[in-house]
Amino acid sequence: MKRSKMMELGVGLFVLAGILGMVFLGLRVSGLGFGMPQDTYTLQANFANVGGLKSGSRVAMAGVTVGRVSGIRLDPKWLDAQVTMEIDENLEGKIPRDSTASILTSGLLGEQYVGLSVGGSPDMLKDGDTIRDTQQALVLEELIQQFVSNMSGN
Amino acid sequence: MFDNYRDVGERYVTDTTLVDVEGLHFSRGENDIFRGVDLSIPKGKITAIMGPSGTGKTTLLKLIGGQLVPDAGRVCIDGEDVHRLSRRALFRMRRRMGMLFQSGALFSDLSVFENVAFPLRVHTDLPEAMVRDIVLMKLQAVGLRGARSLSPAELSGGMARRVALARAVALDPELVLYDEPFVGQDPISMGVLVQLVKTVNQALGLTAVIVSHDIKETLSIADYVYIIADGQVMAHGTPQTLDVDSDARVKQFVHGEPDGPVPFHYPAPDFYRDILAVKGGGR
Amino acid sequence: MIRSIMSLGRGTLETLSALGRAAMFLVQAALAVPSREGWHLWLRQMHFIGVMSLAIVLVSGLFIGMVLGLQGFTILVGFGAEDALGQMVALSLLRELGPVVTALLFAGRAGSALTAEIGLMKATEQLTSMEMIGVDPLRRIVAPRLWAGFVSMPLLAVGFSVVGIWGGYLVGVQWLGVFDGSYWSNMQSNVTFVDDILNGMLKSVVFGLVVTWIAVFQGYDLTPTSEGISRATTRTVVYSSLAVLGLDFVLTALMFGELG
Repeated sequence: MKRSKMMELGVGLFVLAGILGMVFLGLRVSGLGFGMPQDTYTLQANFANVGGLKSGSRVAMAGVTVGRVSGIRLDPKWLDAQVTMEIDENLEGKIPRDSTASILTSGLLGEQYVGLSVGGSPDMLKDGDTIRDTQQALVLEELIQQFVSNMSGN
Repeated sequence: MFDNYRDVGERYVTDTTLVDVEGLHFSRGENDIFRGVDLSIPKGKITAIMGPSGTGKTTLLKLIGGQLVPDAGRVCIDGEDVHRLSRRALFRMRRRMGMLFQSGALFSDLSVFENVAFPLRVHTDLPEAMVRDIVLMKLQAVGLRGARSLSPAELSGGMARRVALARAVALDPELVLYDEPFVGQDPISMGVLVQLVKTVNQALGLTAVIVSHDIKETLSIADYVYIIADGQVMAHGTPQTLDVDSDARVKQFVHGEPDGPVPFHYPAPDFYRDILAVKGGGR
Repeated sequence: MIRSIMSLGRGTLETLSALGRAAMFLVQAALAVPSREGWHLWLRQMHFIGVMSLAIVLVSGLFIGMVLGLQGFTILVGFGAEDALGQMVALSLLRELGPVVTALLFAGRAGSALTAEIGLMKATEQLTSMEMIGVDPLRRIVAPRLWAGFVSMPLLAVGFSVVGIWGGYLVGVQWLGVFDGSYWSNMQSNVTFVDDILNGMLKSVVFGLVVTWIAVFQGYDLTPTSEGISRATTRTVVYSSLAVLGLDFVLTALMFGELG
């Protein structure tokens, strides 16, 4: 009987360790936050080119992460990329309507993210609104092409 | 020692048959093992099935137990065709049977006590105290009550077979099948086992089928004997009638003569020519 | 000519019948209603299959994580992108190495033991005698082992990945000097819970089922001789390794490829 108690304890610890490992992976490795869905509101922005932006990329304001990209799709009306972002609920009604969204790169080869720069309008963006003023991603190939044609032009 | 059992042949009666085997055919690959075997095993008696090694005696037990399916013919136990039962009904029928395997086949991860308790635990809802009483009774009957906490690996071959016997009769079955119960035992364990099979059978009034080629021991306790050779029943009768049978093959088997109708040599080309052929590089 | 076609036909039929037997076997064992003591039997197998494999899985995970940290660093530092080390280590482990290497270790450690154990039970007629007692060995012997393998494997794979990520951290951050914050933050912004972690877990669930199935079936179906047991044990390791690597490609294509 004593041996079987030890066995039960061992299996119990094993399963518990597995669950804790899963929690560790969820929180520490994938940065999953609890209760994120109800704590956000949605903003949209259309970009001519999203470059390497992905669903899950971060949205930052003055360098501070304030949300995540939740979806990217082609807008059939304008034939450009419509990016949906989930922004921290605390900022709802505090971002001016004429703010700019631009796709930036952290470092030369780093990941791409959406940067929001604040405008001066007294009107504020609400849940589901679209940011009008956007700046597309810098695509390295285009830059190089531009640079080369400038050089040959001179 | 066993002389007092010599009279059992006279008690043989054919009024009730528990197991009825009719026209059994079975083959494994290219080999025909049985070509039309008919047996009837009377209720409450010890029936021995004998024959030279390799005649498929163990296979016959597996056919009776429903583990193998015959190519033709049928096996009826108490009027029910074993091979037509559903898997569930077959397992239910097996609760009424016990089988003693040649190796004992004790469950190596359970103690002696738990091995004997196993059929009780899976088939009955008896309270623990009752299970304990029954197990100790059965172990007492085979003389191993003191070995209850040993593991099967610690038992000698004869002891393992005695524990297996206790397990086989734990549920008080109607039919017990013994597969070579005496083979490979020293004279003392052999005597103990012969005695046990006999007394257990008498005490519980069960029907026993013993498959064996230990002639002396088996004939001493059997009520009726079938001899199987070449896939068919070669002879049958009480031990007394077989002992004086005039058929050459029966005589050879019952009296253990090395050569006779059943040849000593495996079929081979002429010895002299075979020896010479080696020099030529042949096989 | 005709002879070779015949042998091809016979081979095909034999393979198909073995596959059929294996499939029937899986269905019967998995659907077997747990007996009264089924819970206890399962627990015992969890201990044997899961807990006893934990040590080898964790040690291997640690070493693989450390190697990933070292190799990743030397490659990434060439692009000045050593900040992406955390991401590289975590994604390699979660998507591929965790499930696959755990399954291979599992096949060698627990799979071969299962085959030998069941094979020995068959050789000593324990399975037959269980049947004669009226207990279905599929239910009592096979089902608890199958379920224990199925449950253990994802838990082991989680352990492998966690320890591996820690090993990468030890080498990358503690030894080679990658900035602590960027190791984790880069990981967090690039690893997604559903796509990477859950998909990896799904892989290990599939591998757990397949490896245990192969191991148990090989044990149940073997020729009960000492040679038969040793052959079946080898077959278990070979077949399950091949099955794991092949299935890994299929699952990866379905999960991460642009097919879906």
